[in-house]
Amino acid sequence: MELRELFTVDAVKLELEADSKDDILKELIELLGLDEKSDTILFKTLKRRENLGSTGIGKGIAIPHCRSLVVNKLCLAYGRKPGGTDFSSIDDAPVHHFFLIVAPPLEVSNQYLPILGKIAQFAKDPEIPGRLESISEPEEFLDLLKEKSTR
Amino acid sequence: MMTASRLHPQLVLLMELQDLRSQHRELGEEEAVREVEETHFQIDLEKARIELAEKIEELEAALDSSARRRYEQIRPHRDRVVVPVINGVCYGCFVSIPTATVGDEGAREELRGCENCGRFIYILS
Ligand SMILES: [Zn+2]
Repeated sequence: MELRELFTVDAVKLELEADSKDDILKELIELLGLDEKSDTILFKTLKRRENLGSTGIGKGIAIPHCRSLVVNKLCLAYGRKPGGTDFSSIDDAPVHHFFLIVAPPLEVSNQYLPILGKIAQFAKDPEIPGRLESISEPEEFLDLLKEKSTR
Repeated sequence: MMTASRLHPQLVLLMELQDLRSQHRELGEEEAVREVEETHFQIDLEKARIELAEKIEELEAALDSSARRRYEQIRPHRDRVVVPVINGVCYGCFVSIPTATVGDEGAREELRGCENCGRFIYILS
């Protein structure tokens, strides 16, 4: 499964409004379109993962991720924070790009880890932060995923 | 999506607990997870396991007595104590659940379990 097929335009937000780590997580969770109770449970699970060590992997990118009972399939979202925000990243630099990945505890297709690896790989491409900055429509984000996955 | 407004408050706690248990188990037993968390995210695996275990204990202690009794009955035998019911099937034992159990009436008042495997259940559609 290619990354492009796992995102929808609804789950892409190019102007995140939140300023704190917690609020950014909540805003990303909202992009998944779950109900309120699910949002609350998912926030706690993601937050507990962050408490073990930030998912900010450096170079302005964070990949909050977890397995949770609240979803029945792999769910992904992308959020961009113009100007960046503090996310206690590995390199202490502000984070501009957030990739949220949530998987159910049991997955028939076992996509979670490969996808997590692919996103991490994608994010490490030196060209990516600049390309993500220049995007002006959610569709362009999907196009970029497609372009990078065919190489 | 879940039929969220009907979630029993103890069930919410149990679901949080189960999510933590999944994290704890993965970081301990699943080599692929351990590798990703260590290489990409620079997690200290052993420290993380200890922190999660503490959090799990804390949430277990917050369960009310009836939920905790059932939880402790299931836990020794099952990796997963709480499971979804999807399309009428328990995702713990994969046996069909009678619609009377699945039906929404009274769901908020009682904490429901699968009649076959005993795990706590919630509806996920
Ligand atoms: Zn069952």
